[in-house]
Amino acid sequence: MTQTDSQPQASSEQVPGDGHMWVMVLGDLVIFGGYFIVFMIYRTMYPDEFLRAQQHLDITIGVVNTVILLTSSWLVARAVLAGRAGRHEEAVRLTYAGGVGGLMFMACKGYEWLVKIRNGHTNSEMFYSFYYVLTGVHLIHVLIGLIALGVIVRELRNPSRRRASVVEASAVYWHMVDLLWVIIFGLLYVVR
Amino acid sequence: MTVQTEAPPGKPDVRLMTWFFPIWYGAFGVIICILTRVTPPPRPDVTAADKVAFFTEHGLTIKIGFCLLLILLGGAALTNGLVAYQIKRMSVGSVFAYGYVGGMGVGALPGFLLVSVCFLTAAFRPDRDPELISLLYDLGMLSYNGSLGCFTAAYLVFAIAILYDKNQIFPVWFAYVTIWQIITEVIATQMFVFESGPFAWNGSIAFWWAVVVFSVWLSALIVLLRQALKREETASDAN
Repeated sequence: MTQTDSQPQASSEQVPGDGHMWVMVLGDLVIFGGYFIVFMIYRTMYPDEFLRAQQHLDITIGVVNTVILLTSSWLVARAVLAGRAGRHEEAVRLTYAGGVGGLMFMACKGYEWLVKIRNGHTNSEMFYSFYYVLTGVHLIHVLIGLIALGVIVRELRNPSRRRASVVEASAVYWHMVDLLWVIIFGLLYVVR
Repeated sequence: MTVQTEAPPGKPDVRLMTWFFPIWYGAFGVIICILTRVTPPPRPDVTAADKVAFFTEHGLTIKIGFCLLLILLGGAALTNGLVAYQIKRMSVGSVFAYGYVGGMGVGALPGFLLVSVCFLTAAFRPDRDPELISLLYDLGMLSYNGSLGCFTAAYLVFAIAILYDKNQIFPVWFAYVTIWQIITEVIATQMFVFESGPFAWNGSIAFWWAVVVFSVWLSALIVLLRQALKREETASDAN
């Protein structure tokens, strides 16, 4: 009767967060990895076209967005540490600050899209179709990440909750959003 | 692992549906992959003459396959009903179950019915102007693959239900796999823009990568439905 399935919860002591979130993160990295590989293949096939289109990308706004997300990730990491140390008020404040970073990233990205579309760089160009799909899918991840940060706040605010595994799992997701952006930034903006 | 040779698990009707689920998807796979040739998709970047030739070459299997699908498509309602049944066992409100059924139903209209009608019309009326046959080919394929986004509402409802559920009918990681489904299928909208390349209806990103994720999702769902069936029996035994 008491026999239950050996669920991955048992291993939650070893890694931050829980096994479920690691399925999400690793699987998501594989899915994005597929996009990156296809991008590299097409980039190799049409190097001139891609290079010409890439020159219209504003690397400054890319750098700004990278700094914003890295800072946000750092704030959320600090929030996890504060939460572990029992400083829940501080952890909530840090998580909010991290969330503001996410909102700023989305605002910058939206502005960048607007400028690109106004200048006629739509998804009718191959490079820009990759640009819109990769950054668009990433934006959806940022949005989901903001929900995850909301989960952290909800956990920390309620004294009867405050499960470290939930806080860590959400933070792990937010770091993945950051990691993905760094790769996208490298591939789209920097690699020549 | 001990082998249990006693009564098979779960409620009889749910058990029947849990078996029906993979059988129906198997039949569906045979129809779309082998008979009607819509998966792997035919090329989008061919001339009207090539499209007419496609219907001539595969006319017979398209007729058999899609006529069969028109009869069997109701089975999708049963498979969706099984998932809805399991959602109703969750601690969340049954509105999620209805949302899933409705969302999948919305997706099935452009996703399966329209392509069936377009391809059957082209296959049974081959004497038409090649441009019209070409239109039916494009319309059928764009409807079939380009409408993948129509299923995303169902996936979203399903994912949220799993995340909120306290009865652990499905594991939380499956909610995340369901979220991948949303993301990969939203990209299908690009198929309307491109006639070739990675975002066309036979493209590596817009189509194939989404198919891989769908296969993972469906395989996991088949296994998890069986586990949910077994656990329901255990739960009712305990009472």
